[in-house]
Amino acid sequence: MRINIAGGLLLAFLSSVATPGLANEKATDIVTGAIDGFIRPGYAAFHQATGELIEAEQALCAAPSQQALDAARQSFGKTVDAWSTIEIIRFGPVTEENRLERVLFWPDRKSTGLKQVQAAIAAKDETATEASSLAKKSVAMQGLGALEFVLFGTGSEGLAQPSEAYRCAYGAAIGGNLDTIAGELETAWAEPDGFARQWANPGPDDPLYRDGTEAVTELMDVFVTGFELVRDVRIGGFLGETPADDKPKQALFWRSAKTLDSIAANLAGMKELLEVSGLGRAVREEAGWIENSALFEFGNAANAAAAANGPVAEVLGDPARREKLVYLGLVTSSLSDIFGTSLSGELGLTAGFSSLDGD
Amino acid sequence: MKRPLIDRRDLLKAAGLTFVSSLAPAALAATLETDAVFATAYQQRSGAYGVAILSEAGRILHTVDLPDRGHDITFDAVSGRSVAFARQPGTFAVVFDPKGREAPLTIRSVAGRHFFGHGVFSPDGALLYATENDFENAAGMVGVYDARANFERVGEFPTHGVGPHELLLLDDGRTIAIANGGIETHPDFGRAKLNIPTMKPSFVLADRTTGELIEKHELPAELHKLSIRHMDIDAAGTVWFGCQNEGPATERPALVGRAVRGKELALLEMPDKVLSGFRNYIGSVAANRQAGTVAVTSPQGNCLVVMDAATGDVVSATALTEVCGLAPDHAGFMATTGTGSVIEPDGTTAQDDDRVWDNHVLRMAPAA
Repeated sequence: MRINIAGGLLLAFLSSVATPGLANEKATDIVTGAIDGFIRPGYAAFHQATGELIEAEQALCAAPSQQALDAARQSFGKTVDAWSTIEIIRFGPVTEENRLERVLFWPDRKSTGLKQVQAAIAAKDETATEASSLAKKSVAMQGLGALEFVLFGTGSEGLAQPSEAYRCAYGAAIGGNLDTIAGELETAWAEPDGFARQWANPGPDDPLYRDGTEAVTELMDVFVTGFELVRDVRIGGFLGETPADDKPKQALFWRSAKTLDSIAANLAGMKELLEVSGLGRAVREEAGWIENSALFEFGNAANAAAAANGPVAEVLGDPARREKLVYLGLVTSSLSDIFGTSLSGELGLTAGFSSLDGD
Repeated sequence: MKRPLIDRRDLLKAAGLTFVSSLAPAALAATLETDAVFATAYQQRSGAYGVAILSEAGRILHTVDLPDRGHDITFDAVSGRSVAFARQPGTFAVVFDPKGREAPLTIRSVAGRHFFGHGVFSPDGALLYATENDFENAAGMVGVYDARANFERVGEFPTHGVGPHELLLLDDGRTIAIANGGIETHPDFGRAKLNIPTMKPSFVLADRTTGELIEKHELPAELHKLSIRHMDIDAAGTVWFGCQNEGPATERPALVGRAVRGKELALLEMPDKVLSGFRNYIGSVAANRQAGTVAVTSPQGNCLVVMDAATGDVVSATALTEVCGLAPDHAGFMATTGTGSVIEPDGTTAQDDDRVWDNHVLRMAPAA
């Protein structure tokens, strides 16, 4: 372990990496459980939802009515639920071609997406009504954020009338674009020789996962970054220190009142991922309490999210429900600790004071 | 000149400075006067944050409490004071005396700004420069503080980019090099990266006395997700920079580059195995001017790689779990890890069971 360059310039290559940590076979079991039990079905469900979304939007455009608009809005909600479950996976194929941001560009602090969507509607930009040409436009105008404005934003009531044909066609193109991306994600994870195989089979020559520890650390990252996302970004983005600091319009999906549903789906997704991967059971018998604590806290989180559900502005205006949100934030801190410290430590993963959370 | 350091222990304790050394008082005083000392931010098992002043052997000489997580530390050889900066999006910087003669002083960032974790003093020690975020406008700024007037903030100038990270003073004493990482963040959303699809990092030289832009360089468009973050200067005055790729993990862009005034940025080719070992993430860069080497670390790839500063050739690659902090020491480098190890150039390791070390370690050189 010499760091200075005394003597011959011999390359001490990285063959024996870090701590021995998890055996590769155990890692393969855990990762395979995560892929087959959560990731593949999760992307398939998202793809299913986008397929139904296109149908609902096309039906709306073909025969505008309040009923058809309600159906399209409902399909949007189901798509948000499906995406929010699987969006905790922020590595692998979703990082290629800006897919993550194309599905959901948020937060959009400068309202770039809103301005672009309004401009497209005002100018009746034909290139935004084809999914294929829309896919080449700004990420902010081709995903769930843009579609939410189309279906729920100012002027959306008009979709029940034939006069809003352009807006409807643009919305359908967003649905088509989301469906294309969802299909790509489902396919990429389903490929027998693709990313899934690589992740589940770490080895010294693999460019991404050299050993079981690195493969399982990728899974641990899902939880550690997921809790931070829910707490600091999704809740922290609109919940102030005091009610006076609240910013309801900075909440994700406030227009469609899906904010709390989305947060609940994020957490439910992580709970499911924990269970199907067997991550919490890959420990010594006496450390079984870790998974139990995690499941207990996931239960608390689900209850709090359910109790706080509703349009964000309304929730924030109701001290009892607002308090549930504060509590939900605390529960995610507790979950961060359970995974980032207790479970990581037990599994011999370097919890990543400087690596997971670098700067 | 030697001050009766230990006599003031009680006073210092009251001021938030804690001695944890097991060195006898006389030995401690001697170490602080004669040996190189190092400083690094840490987190304790209890969750508390602070800065440790370390001996060359990795022994803690004393510690300074921090209100939250710190990042890098800078040192002024003239006054002998150091400043630890909050990690982004933190809003404090703590000025402290590595020799423990004075009580620490906390600087608060002004409204609409937060620190990015790095800063540097002017050569005369009169001014302190810090990278800051004008977050409402997503604009990088250099905040200027008067070190002789309680670190009052006396001005600022733009970094001509988004998300500045490390900044350095070049050898002319006047030019500041700034790594604009290109990543937009806003404290309302924690550390979330808001502009990955459109990020555009840059390397900027600015005149610290006027704030004027001297040079600005960007990487080729296809490398727009390669965030330029950390730097050091070799004996020839070349700035070496290390990057973090925000694109897919399957990409293998070069991660280390060199910047020479008046020239385009040059990325360094490296053997595939070394490059892939970085996991697209360089955490620190340090030059050893005497040895003619430059080292980079990757806490994600668990490796420390040393290069020849003249040729750019890799001369050693060492596996070290969660290594990040780097400082020149003798003919090699001292390295610190996120698992609490301090590794001396000869490989001797001191392990702290109560602390994990943050991303950077600073060598505090006495005034020439």
